[in-house]
Amino acid sequence: MASSAAYPDADENLEAIITRIEQKSRKIETLLKQSKPVEALKTALEGSPLKTLDERCKSANWIVVHRAMMAIRDVDGMFNSLDPEYYDILMKYLYRGLSTGDRPTCDQCLKIHEKLTEKAGLGCILRSLADTVNTV
Amino acid sequence: MAAAAIHQFAECITCHAWSPDESMIAFCPNNHEVHIYKFFTDKWEKLHVLSKHDQIVSGIDWSKSSNKIVTVSHDRNSYVWTQEGSDWVPTLVILKLNRAALCVQWSPKENKFAVGSGAKSVCVCYYEQENNWWISKVIRKRHESSVTSLAWHPNNIYLATTSTDGKCRVFSTFIKGVDKRGSQSSTSTDSKFGEQIAQLDLSSTWVFGVRWSPSGKTLAYAGHNSMVYFIDEVESSPAAQNLALRDLPLRDVLFVSERTLIGVGFDCNPMIFAADDTGLWSFIRFLDERKAAPSASKASQDWTVKSWYGIWKMTSALQNSSREGFITNQIKGTSVITHRTQGTILGSGVLQVFKIQGQPGSKDSPDG
Repeated sequence: MASSAAYPDADENLEAIITRIEQKSRKIETLLKQSKPVEALKTALEGSPLKTLDERCKSANWIVVHRAMMAIRDVDGMFNSLDPEYYDILMKYLYRGLSTGDRPTCDQCLKIHEKLTEKAGLGCILRSLADTVNTV
Repeated sequence: MAAAAIHQFAECITCHAWSPDESMIAFCPNNHEVHIYKFFTDKWEKLHVLSKHDQIVSGIDWSKSSNKIVTVSHDRNSYVWTQEGSDWVPTLVILKLNRAALCVQWSPKENKFAVGSGAKSVCVCYYEQENNWWISKVIRKRHESSVTSLAWHPNNIYLATTSTDGKCRVFSTFIKGVDKRGSQSSTSTDSKFGEQIAQLDLSSTWVFGVRWSPSGKTLAYAGHNSMVYFIDEVESSPAAQNLALRDLPLRDVLFVSERTLIGVGFDCNPMIFAADDTGLWSFIRFLDERKAAPSASKASQDWTVKSWYGIWKMTSALQNSSREGFITNQIKGTSVITHRTQGTILGSGVLQVFKIQGQPGSKDSPDG
């Protein structure tokens, strides 16, 4: 189980979360060097600090997700190897990306959003908008 | 499968109930009245108009064996209607509410009924022989918001509720003099009136449409976040399965057997869910064929198996139980639907009757 599993991060020490994200970041760089952007995105989405309210953790994880997301060139190809369990959390990060207002980020987010909605339906959008407990 | 029959009764229908033999239907045409129609060989004819409420009727239930109708309304009152000759005679039930009543259900033994309300409370009503009067006992202070739906456990004691505070709760409704202690073998039916047996905190959004399976082993309800929740063994060791839907949320669910559930919702097309031999629930298909893919037709092709995905887990959010751990599983919909059911009304005022035919070679009896 990946992104949607229950994370114990509510009780986790903030420093531990940051350390975990730093490790993810290094792993992602390695995967990107090996031209495995989808693997990098999966790694970025896994273990996201959803329960914590600390903005520093949220931002740190957004930075690594953003890094992996922007490296995706072939959006259709990405969905061939991205499992459904990542859909809901990816949708949440897409909305976070759109809220930045940064042009290249928004372009990429909209491109993925279109394909993701085709794949995962309106239910996925509803869940990402409605969930006030697990936020990104 | 397309709808077996479609009948336009009114511009809008707010609630409905079938008569015990399913030859009649009572519904509210979005006003203070309840209309009763009977099916005569080829068409539905209006037999009665029950008009006693002052405001929109929000809930109707027709008891199966005692042939009584209970109605609740936004006017905060409830009436129990009994048939005397050709007339339906109302008895007022004072609910002691200060907000609208929203839903009503007869208990399985039909000696009690429960009313959910916008006053963050649930009324359990029972008949007192000596006073010839229905008494309402209120469960207060548990719900943090309106009660949207109710379901009675087959043991006639447990009552499950869903609320717009996002939680599903199970209460004991034991009433001295009405229910007998120890009639059930389980010790858990000994709890007092209004005692909370379980609180399920699985959704952060409004929840609707709670139902027990026929045996009472499984509880199902729908979340406004396009999820369906299945909970086994609520009283002792709750285990939840959360099923994420591809499309718009469900508004109500109905068990047609222990392992088959029908869901109806904002997609205006009933959905069939079924559990496999290991008890894992999955979406099977839409009941109505007229469903057109809202977006691309390309997307609709891989809907059936791949895009319907489920997240199954035993959640630590089950507050009455500290059990943790999780089960993960991808779902493959292979079960066969083997039951006949009928009746769902969509909000448009149209009655659609569906019959689900039994499949040969199936385990369950096809003539349910």
